Amino acid sequence: MTVEKGTLEIKNLSKSFIVDNNPLLVLNNINIKFPACAFISIIGGSGCGKTTLLRIMLGLDTSYDGEALMDGERIVGPGSNRGIVFQDHRLLPWLTVGENVAFGLDRLNRKEKKLLVDENLKLVGLSGFESAYPSQLSGGMAQRVAIARALANKPEILLLDEPLGALDALTRIHMQKELERLWLLEKITMIMVTHDVDEAIYLSDKVVIMSSRPGVIKKIIDIPSSRSRDRASSEFMQIKAEILKEFHLGTEYPFAYAI
Amino acid sequence: MKNMLITRKTKSRLSSFIFPIVLLLLWQFISSAGYASSAVVPSPKKVLNTFQILFTQQTFFLNITASLERVMIGFLIGSLTGFLFGLLMGLSRTAEIIFAPSFHTVRQVPMIGWIPLIVMWFGMTELPRILIISIAAFYPITLNTFAGVRSVPREYLELASVYGYKRFKLIRRIILPAALPSIITGLTLSLGMSWAILMAAEIFIQTEFGIGTQIQMGRQRFNMPLVVTGILTVGLLGFVMTMMIEKLARIVDRGRAIGNEN
Repeated sequence: MTVEKGTLEIKNLSKSFIVDNNPLLVLNNINIKFPACAFISIIGGSGCGKTTLLRIMLGLDTSYDGEALMDGERIVGPGSNRGIVFQDHRLLPWLTVGENVAFGLDRLNRKEKKLLVDENLKLVGLSGFESAYPSQLSGGMAQRVAIARALANKPEILLLDEPLGALDALTRIHMQKELERLWLLEKITMIMVTHDVDEAIYLSDKVVIMSSRPGVIKKIIDIPSSRSRDRASSEFMQIKAEILKEFHLGTEYPFAYAI
Repeated sequence: MKNMLITRKTKSRLSSFIFPIVLLLLWQFISSAGYASSAVVPSPKKVLNTFQILFTQQTFFLNITASLERVMIGFLIGSLTGFLFGLLMGLSRTAEIIFAPSFHTVRQVPMIGWIPLIVMWFGMTELPRILIISIAAFYPITLNTFAGVRSVPREYLELASVYGYKRFKLIRRIILPAALPSIITGLTLSLGMSWAILMAAEIFIQTEFGIGTQIQMGRQRFNMPLVVTGILTVGLLGFVMTMMIEKLARIVDRGRAIGNEN
């Protein structure tokens, strides 16, 4: 069976941690298929195991029951076919922006590295910043560099762990547009964990809703509308209501969000 | 904007001179008001004269170079072994379990306490002097390297494992740079300790040349200006060395130094 590159599949996956000598189930029987080139958001309250799931997909955690398959093959560790952007930009302060972007490019020679660094910094709109240090950048810029670092490795899948969570509201909206632009341009699979319902609807083809303790998939919602979504459209609002209902926030919705 | 910055910098530099000048005036006042005999508290002028005389004598420079050489060799040996030892304990829990209790026990022995033992082993030669300085340099760098390695943020290690960094590459590219500020603090402290213990090493283990020798000689001849010039020389040279190491730290650690400027 051949699988299209950039496909990730989770089958019957369960995971427990040992807490005070007792097993604590954090993920229970998870089944999701992430099709190639899709943008999928995972949304859920804290403690729903979404970060654990992301770590499993990344290959940082390999002790679980069930299967996590990347392009049809079991994930045994981190690999350059999966990139990650964390909530904190996690740039190394002693390296310049350029060196940070080249962090995973050791196998290449100097010239190829420079080419990729330039290309990816240009992609995120930060050409000319390669010799700046992370401490000289704003939060939004630092996160762009982190995205460039992840993309420089040419991953088939980009995992995003609340990538815009640490940014202020306006930068956040701007960065959501940027993420959409990059996704359309790069044509890779993006899997994003987020707390922000608007962000999930704005960006995703599918929104996976998880509930907590143990983490299970509650519902998967397809977002039908075309790209460049209008956050004020009635369709957008309807989907939002549907998602919020899953968190038992449905009744509060008219009051909290209508202002 | 740039001009303002410069003037502010100059201003704070100038402020650093206020306190030494006050001390100098106080010293001058005490000696000229006759509160103390000039044999016990020599006047600043007398000390300055002694400095002028010393500068014409070869012995003074031989003393300085002998002391500097001693400190440099002792510091290099002590800080290099301390760095490697701290790194080993930082990287390996097993090494920590094996060595840390002994290390923390031995560390309690005051530096001066080592002198009789080492002299009885090696005699009144250059080796015990350097050994004492090495021991003094060893502790701070060991402790700070260890602490630095252990406090590398978990997030950086996770990032490194995502990109497949392992063993030497992990140590060289992530752990050491992340621990660098702590290691530099350790080096600065080690240098301070070496310089501080130098006097004891030179006074208790008598030697022909050394600033400690000069101070000791001044004491024996009741030549107070010679003692005071010796002490001032030690202080000033120590200050210059600390400045140099801090400057070096800023060059090595450019990324973070830039962040701290603002």
